[in-house]
Amino acid sequence: MTGFSRRRIVASAAATGGVAALALTGCGGAQGGGATGGTTSDKTPVRIGASVSATGSNGNIGRYQKEAYELWVEMVNQRGGLLGRPVEMTILDDQTDPTTGAKLYEKLITEDKVDLVLGPYASSVTLSASTVTEKYKYPLLAAGASASDIWKRNYKYVFGVYSVAESYFYGVIDLALKNNLKKIAIVNEDTVFPNATATGTAAYARQKGMQIVFQEKYPQKATDVSSMLTKIKAAVPEVLVGGSYEPDSMLITRQMKDLDVNVKMLAFSVGAANPDFQGSLGAVADHVFGPSMWEPDLKTPGNKEFLDAYKKKWSRDPDYHSATGFAGGQIMEAAVKKANSLDREKLREALSTLETTTILPGKYKVDDTGMQMGHIPVTIQWQGKEKAIVSPDNMATGKPKLPMPEWKAR
Amino acid sequence: MESAVAPTNALTLAQVAASGILLGGVYALLAGGLNLIFGVMRVINLAHGELLMLGAYAALGLFVLWGVPPLLALALIMPLLFGLGLLLQRLLVSRVVRQPPLTSLLLMFGVSLLLTGAAQQAFTTNFRSVPYLSGSVDVAGLALSLPRLVAFGVAAVLSAAVYAYLRWSRWGKALRATAQNPDVALMCGIDVDRARLLAFGLGAALAGAAGTLASFIFTIFPEMGGTYMLKGFAVIVLGGLGSFGGAFAGAVLLGLFESFAAYATNAQAAEGVAYVLLFLVLLVKPSGLFGLREG
Amino acid sequence: MRWGVTAPVLLALGVLMLATLPLWGTGYVLSLLFLTFMYAAMASSWNLISGYTGYVSFGHAAFFGIGAYTSGILLTNKLAHVSAPWPVAVLVAGVVAALLALVLGYPALRLRGPYFAIAMLGLAEAVRVAVTLAEPLTGGGKGLSLPPALVDVPAYYAMGLLAMVAVALTHVVATSPVGLRLLSIREDEVAAEVVGVRTTLHKLVTFCVSASIAGIAGGLYAWKQSYIDPTTVFAAGLTVRAITMTMFGGQGTVWGPVIGAVVLTYTGEQLWARFPFLHTALFGGMIILILLFLPGGVIALLQERGWLPRSRRV
Repeated sequence: MTGFSRRRIVASAAATGGVAALALTGCGGAQGGGATGGTTSDKTPVRIGASVSATGSNGNIGRYQKEAYELWVEMVNQRGGLLGRPVEMTILDDQTDPTTGAKLYEKLITEDKVDLVLGPYASSVTLSASTVTEKYKYPLLAAGASASDIWKRNYKYVFGVYSVAESYFYGVIDLALKNNLKKIAIVNEDTVFPNATATGTAAYARQKGMQIVFQEKYPQKATDVSSMLTKIKAAVPEVLVGGSYEPDSMLITRQMKDLDVNVKMLAFSVGAANPDFQGSLGAVADHVFGPSMWEPDLKTPGNKEFLDAYKKKWSRDPDYHSATGFAGGQIMEAAVKKANSLDREKLREALSTLETTTILPGKYKVDDTGMQMGHIPVTIQWQGKEKAIVSPDNMATGKPKLPMPEWKAR
Repeated sequence: MESAVAPTNALTLAQVAASGILLGGVYALLAGGLNLIFGVMRVINLAHGELLMLGAYAALGLFVLWGVPPLLALALIMPLLFGLGLLLQRLLVSRVVRQPPLTSLLLMFGVSLLLTGAAQQAFTTNFRSVPYLSGSVDVAGLALSLPRLVAFGVAAVLSAAVYAYLRWSRWGKALRATAQNPDVALMCGIDVDRARLLAFGLGAALAGAAGTLASFIFTIFPEMGGTYMLKGFAVIVLGGLGSFGGAFAGAVLLGLFESFAAYATNAQAAEGVAYVLLFLVLLVKPSGLFGLREG
Repeated sequence: MRWGVTAPVLLALGVLMLATLPLWGTGYVLSLLFLTFMYAAMASSWNLISGYTGYVSFGHAAFFGIGAYTSGILLTNKLAHVSAPWPVAVLVAGVVAALLALVLGYPALRLRGPYFAIAMLGLAEAVRVAVTLAEPLTGGGKGLSLPPALVDVPAYYAMGLLAMVAVALTHVVATSPVGLRLLSIREDEVAAEVVGVRTTLHKLVTFCVSASIAGIAGGLYAWKQSYIDPTTVFAAGLTVRAITMTMFGGQGTVWGPVIGAVVLTYTGEQLWARFPFLHTALFGGMIILILLFLPGGVIALLQERGWLPRSRRV
């Protein structure tokens, strides 16, 4: 325990550190090209990076968005690419984990040196990843997120693609009031997007004169909500609205059946509009409502083409998350055309003032915080094995069926 | 935004209590196995939750691939997990049984990580469930969840069977003797090594059974083991280390407690309160509420 | 193995590279080393309480998390209508973490070995739930957003400094009578008491110091990331890494945690890029192998081979 031995230990540690540092830098450095806009008319590919949840609690839905990104790349290249240059996209998997998302975007930006980025799935991941894109001044199209918290931070580089979470249930509330249903219960998962949904819904419901008989949050990754459902049963609501993701939407529905909790109108923010919802739950899914950012039956420009191409490439029907992902690509394309450049500052400018249509209902238009203003969400209901669009009236394909029959009566 | 208060009446409270008791069924199986292992070998099996997880995935696999209903799958899964338990004991645990408890703790911790990671790789982290039973059963005005009722029934039967085995069979007595004092048991001619193998295998089998039951009640994902682990401990601490019957009582107690806590506050707070309860009981009476003797 | 003159040269080279990294490394490498320093600090601080006193804590992440949230809250203007400068926020984070350790440790450290481990596991979860419930202050499940600032470079140096402090502290403990007393607690607490070691005081102080380092690490993390949420900063994975790294390098040694942090962060990154889930399994497998075959970690291996001199380590 003399000074000599101490020096040796310190030396070996410093050597370790030095070697590690060398090795790490060695493993870094994929030198990409075309960082801030090609002034020459070269054919080097435009590289776009994104991370999407291919696995994790929301892997099922994330994959729809990923497929859409890849489809968009294929289609844009068929049209000649962006500014005449082919598009190459790198999509990584963030497992619906916000930290991983941030790390991946940092890697894409600083290591892989991509030219542009597109957004991840889920508001929580987008919230985290956007801190990275904001720091490095990369415009981010939030093609998979909608919680308004994302736009309350005074960021300049984040742009919304579809309606904010707070407005998701406006259609459902309006329908409820039209049918004389006044008592509502609101539950939500305690994460970014569901909280936003619940807050907005509660405010709107109150404003329209509904009575909120019950409101509660449940933890993330909940596996049992029976006590909460027991309380709901006691409160006897007519409408139950869940700010939820796909796994909990299904959990709540199943446990409602198991505990014989009956309501006249049931709606979920995510999952209800997904084709898999009926596939997994079967008859139990019937009569459930949900907001949707896009439906295949809508007559929006390029929609049929998108639908056919998607089915051909992926052998399954797209979900609205595919559509929002695809729209993200379309908007990026329009912005590049408008700015006539890949310079990220010019793109930011373009995205702030752009107005364009996509396959989504309504149009792309953002306010001065980057929040989406022009998109129009629809409300769907499962009727048998099909979804019907029940609101707004000018896009409806069917009439809402109320009330929902009791579980035991099915 | 806290919960708007829901009206409380006797029926609702009874409903909450019923849900809680049924919830205890699965916990009981899990804790029983944990208790057995700890009692006989003084090893805290931190990988026990992962054994439950594997049981759940096995049930899922059998159901999805060959349409085997979970209750039938029990007959396959329990022996399978028994075998896995034997393997773990023979290869790993037996080497650290006589060492300070922390070594076995860390070892099982490593095993739990290994199993979780392997499951994540093999099954992906998507959430899944077995759509087996659903619906509610009307009992005296209470709506009891059918899947839970069935699970509770199976758990009770299995627990009773193991209890009887421990109490009256030759090997059951050997296990209890080893639990009391391995050296004396050895002198009495009991093959202590074999007893330990049996204990771990049986414990794992019970965890697998708990997992099979959990598969059609709760959601399945690779990381699910961790939560059940803590609940298993809470049960043992409440019901008493080394007492098999106490574990069942403790499980029902925990289920009731969780159910009422979630009712009174919300599901999130209930989680936290369970952990604080675990801690407080550990402080006050480390051998548990019905504990026979300490480790 | 003779080092001779190569030792100071390697030393200088290593230090120079790390000190000038911001000039020639990419943002990603900078972040990676930031994480390495963070894990080194976490592992070292875990080693202090678990490796030396033998009180294995499975709840180390709780102190990281509380530190992250303290610093996060102070850096936004939620509490005081003005945001604190980062050194203040980060240091207060350390103090708060130490206080939490005092409050939890005073009862918990009375529990023996395995019970303490499990109790800490439960308590860490309870802290996470409490933070999630304190929504007006912490943002609850939505997480906390801080003003995004590109502070990668100062954060890198700060975390590097923290890692150095953690190691220096461990070294001081290891080579002083204090360390001997801690080790005596690990070996036989009752006997230590009999001999006159004030075990409660020693355990508690070590626990608080260990927690404060984790708390500062959390505080720096929040500052750099600009967004934290309960699931991330209270993640069990943090504790897992601290444990694995320390055991890999050698628990109860000074440089063990650092070696573990460097090797495992690097291999973890490589693996994570290709096999995202394998690293959990790898850590588990590693713990098993080390416990069975190499309980003293890498340092013990090197010492047996004569590459390193023997030191006080049990």
